[in-house]
Amino acid sequence: MTIGLLNHPEMHFGAITFFAKQHKEDMCGSNGLPLTPNSIIIYGRAQMLKAIKSPYLCQYLDIIRGKHERTIVVSQYCGTPLSNIVENQDQSIDEIKHIVYQILQGLNELHTRNIVHRNLSTENILCQDNNVKLFNYGLYHLTDNGKLVSFPIIQLLYAAPEIYLDGIQHNHTNPKVDIWAVGMILAELVLHKRFWSTLKLGHRIRKVLSLLQSNTSVFERIAREHNCYEDYMKVPEDIKEIIEICLNINVDQRPTCGELLQKGVFNQQKTDKISEKKSLCEPFEIFTIHEFYHWWQLAGGDIFQELKKQGLIRSSPPILSLPQLVLIEGGLLGQDRNPATLFDPRIVEMPLASLYQRFENIPFTAFYPLIQIKSDIISRLEPPPYDATGLPLIIKERDPEYQFHRVILLRRLLHGYPFTRELIVREAEKDIPPLLRGEIWAALLHVKGDYKSHYMKIDKYSITPTDRQIEVDIPRCHQYNELLSSTDGHQKLKRILKAWVCKNSNYVYWQGLDSLTAPFLYLNFNDEAKAFACLSAFIPKYLHKFFLKDNSAVIEEYLAKFSQLIAFHDPVLANHLYEINFYPQLFAIPWFLTLFSHVFPLYKILHLWDKVLLGNSSYSLHIGLSVLTQLRDRLLNAGFNECILLFSDLPEVDIEKSVYLSTDTFKTTPTSITAREHENCEFQERDKYDISGVTLEDLKRERYPRISANDIVSLVRSNPEKMCMVDIRNMTQYNRCSVIGSINIPFSSVSFSDNNIENIGQHSQLLKETNNKVVVVIGDEETDMELFPTFLLKCNVKKVCVLHGGFNILLSVTPTILVSHSHNI
Amino acid sequence: MSTRTGAAQRPNGSTQGKICQFKLVLLGESAVGKSSLVLRFVKGQFHEYQESTIGAAFLTQTVCLDDTTVKFEIWDTAGQERYHSLAPMYYRGAQAAIVVYDITNQDTFGRAKTWVKELQRQASPTIVIALAGNKQDLANKRMVEYEEAQTYADENGLLFIETSAKTAMNVNDIFLAIVDELDENVEVPGPNSNKLSKFSLLNKTVGVLSKALFAKIVFPISINRKDSIISCDPSL
Repeated sequence: MTIGLLNHPEMHFGAITFFAKQHKEDMCGSNGLPLTPNSIIIYGRAQMLKAIKSPYLCQYLDIIRGKHERTIVVSQYCGTPLSNIVENQDQSIDEIKHIVYQILQGLNELHTRNIVHRNLSTENILCQDNNVKLFNYGLYHLTDNGKLVSFPIIQLLYAAPEIYLDGIQHNHTNPKVDIWAVGMILAELVLHKRFWSTLKLGHRIRKVLSLLQSNTSVFERIAREHNCYEDYMKVPEDIKEIIEICLNINVDQRPTCGELLQKGVFNQQKTDKISEKKSLCEPFEIFTIHEFYHWWQLAGGDIFQELKKQGLIRSSPPILSLPQLVLIEGGLLGQDRNPATLFDPRIVEMPLASLYQRFENIPFTAFYPLIQIKSDIISRLEPPPYDATGLPLIIKERDPEYQFHRVILLRRLLHGYPFTRELIVREAEKDIPPLLRGEIWAALLHVKGDYKSHYMKIDKYSITPTDRQIEVDIPRCHQYNELLSSTDGHQKLKRILKAWVCKNSNYVYWQGLDSLTAPFLYLNFNDEAKAFACLSAFIPKYLHKFFLKDNSAVIEEYLAKFSQLIAFHDPVLANHLYEINFYPQLFAIPWFLTLFSHVFPLYKILHLWDKVLLGNSSYSLHIGLSVLTQLRDRLLNAGFNECILLFSDLPEVDIEKSVYLSTDTFKTTPTSITAREHENCEFQERDKYDISGVTLEDLKRERYPRISANDIVSLVRSNPEKMCMVDIRNMTQYNRCSVIGSINIPFSSVSFSDNNIENIGQHSQLLKETNNKVVVVIGDEETDMELFPTFLLKCNVKKVCVLHGGFNILLSVTPTILVSHSHNI
Repeated sequence: MSTRTGAAQRPNGSTQGKICQFKLVLLGESAVGKSSLVLRFVKGQFHEYQESTIGAAFLTQTVCLDDTTVKFEIWDTAGQERYHSLAPMYYRGAQAAIVVYDITNQDTFGRAKTWVKELQRQASPTIVIALAGNKQDLANKRMVEYEEAQTYADENGLLFIETSAKTAMNVNDIFLAIVDELDENVEVPGPNSNKLSKFSLLNKTVGVLSKALFAKIVFPISINRKDSIISCDPSL
């Protein structure tokens, strides 16, 4: 049953491979940087093909780069080539029309996207139960009209005469070349003959060119040459007409796909509604072939190995590729051309048995998961489809069954977005399946509506003063990544950055914005508008005002909060860093300005941001803390120079550990500890019990954080055992009125001469072992609010904070959390 | 000027070479090759796609010259004009600066001149400034003539050299030329009188600097450094 769903006739794929043209040694572009390898350019250009979805086209699935500019293209491959059935006499005229109609639909799909096939032949048209799909239609496009490969992209028989006349190197981006090919294919089909199949290459070309001299109908002439004049006479007039206009030597007079599809000859096909042949169609599609391919890979499928097995990839001893002569200037002579650099038309179909086997035990119901269970009884009865809790993230991401369930579930939820957003958030808290990360992130960032036309309207091309900076930054931004280093990647990144600068006139381009954009572009490479929409939603939420022209106040506040957060959680480290004058200003600006996207490689950023997107703008402070925590031992034993060196060349940081640590501190830190004046109030509502009005000078002077009355009240009510409140007012005041559970250490009774916790007196034991309680210092305007908490911090007391606004702010809280001791005395 | 000399004095009073520590800062327009020069000097590496520097990066390199061990503390700064406000934090208290431009781009040379002016006005008066015309390997695309830069350097008393971080040409040379220049500054006869002037100079520098951004935070660093410099000086 399960296999039934997976074993769909359309769920098959295959791969072809070829070599991109190699650059001559040591070639530099005008900017002094090495030329982008052609295989990388191809990699970038091919991405858009993956997004084309049509019942008449085999879907592109993947591009893989191998050694020496090898490129492997993986695409859907289902059915048998049309060439196998050309000579089948049984094909009725209606069936032929049906085939051609679908070919034209496929071509039309391409031509509307400005893609010219240029490679159409009966070999790469696949038929399956009367359904027709074009295969390998993107080769000409992805090789930049053949410029990036050293072999010609041409189908001798089907190439239009102008291709020969203008020479192979000429760029034929006129879609009419494909119409000629359709004419030839249709002619072959109706005459049930493969033309000039026995002739040698040169002769074939001569034959095609001889058609140029034809004074009569080209079709008739071909028929006569093949002794099929009788068959020719039998061909219905309307079909003949179609072939004639397609095989028009004059390019301009050839019709377009759209015009051909309108012809009366296809009336039957139009009413047949072939377009409904899609059995798995959005939005009810349970899974796509992309997901199918992804599972296949997880289940052990390896394109490389399969190509090797079939002999398409062969390694030859390096000695055989040595040139006979190398000139001092670097020129090579006497090197045989490697036959592998020629085009290899073979297609390798990928075996699916191992996937079927692996998924054998998945029940049919798993394809239709319950997305919302309102009844507790059912939810308790419903076991998790595949329990992977406790497994490391990296394992989960590579577990085929687990990813199967996650993808099926989240794909469903995404179909229902934005209405299912809350459910998506809940699932994202567990983990995010890598395949759907781009879409899930967009959902978490509330990207919806017509973001495409919004993006389209933005000016991305006018020259601006920022251009030079953007242009020098892009070729340095995450260039180890194939997508981002490709020519298309550079262009896209530039457009997004320019659009952002244009759209946000109150902000400016700061170096680092490029790195910040990179993850979004990487995940939405085929949807630039979505990448832009994600960036535009991300910045206000997480980096509000960071890109102001003068952002120093914002950044300084953020860094001051970072220092306080370190002091709050790790006073020992904080004191050490303070003593050696090691301030976050010296190392943490790129951390927070780019939310670590300038610091870590992409694969780490993705996991980090999976969590960032579930948190608020304070989360990156916690990531920063987690990085320090990981390096804690080294930092504690290092002086200023060693510390700063450590961060200039950030050592390997275990990102999963960071995620774990930061999530932990994020959850256990009262929100007001990291509250900032420059926070975006859209995401953080405030009232009179929250912190406000703290000047930057105060903030930078205070080494410990403040806590809001709101947080105190909710902590006292919900978790009083996690609190240690120290009232530092005098005893009279304390006895008159104080917070439930607070202790009194009158400020005047303590000597701050040395950092000795014993100076506190009777309560010193309590503060020595706070057991991770939040230590809140409560004073009022008569007490000094800085000496005491600083003293506690210097004594390495953890989680010290000061009540913002002092004791009196609590007087107006209802219901009250205050008690009076006076009657006890 | 405030070169740290010490640590190598033996109990019997004879000195066995000296250890000098220099704070050096790199300035210049973005993408001219500041980070690449440092990387070449410190690690002998070159990355075609050297990522942009945000804020600043810190690296050190120790070189042995005859009887002297020189330790460079190098601050590699962000080039984008917007990060300008951070620069004083790094060139403050620096004994040397390398101002870098890209010989294939005239604008970067203009920017280098601005940096030189700023250093002459704001930085320590004794700072040694070197001008580096980087990307010499792209000399066929040159937009800034060697003579033009040489003349400018002469007029302003700068060291000048064309470098290539990619081919390593003149990279070590520029750092060593700075050491020579610093040595000359340091070796002034009359130890006692000299020390006094050194001290007053330091105070003066500090006064100027506190006006700059981040002064509050960075201030203790420079103080601290100087403290240590002064206290380490065996003859003080």
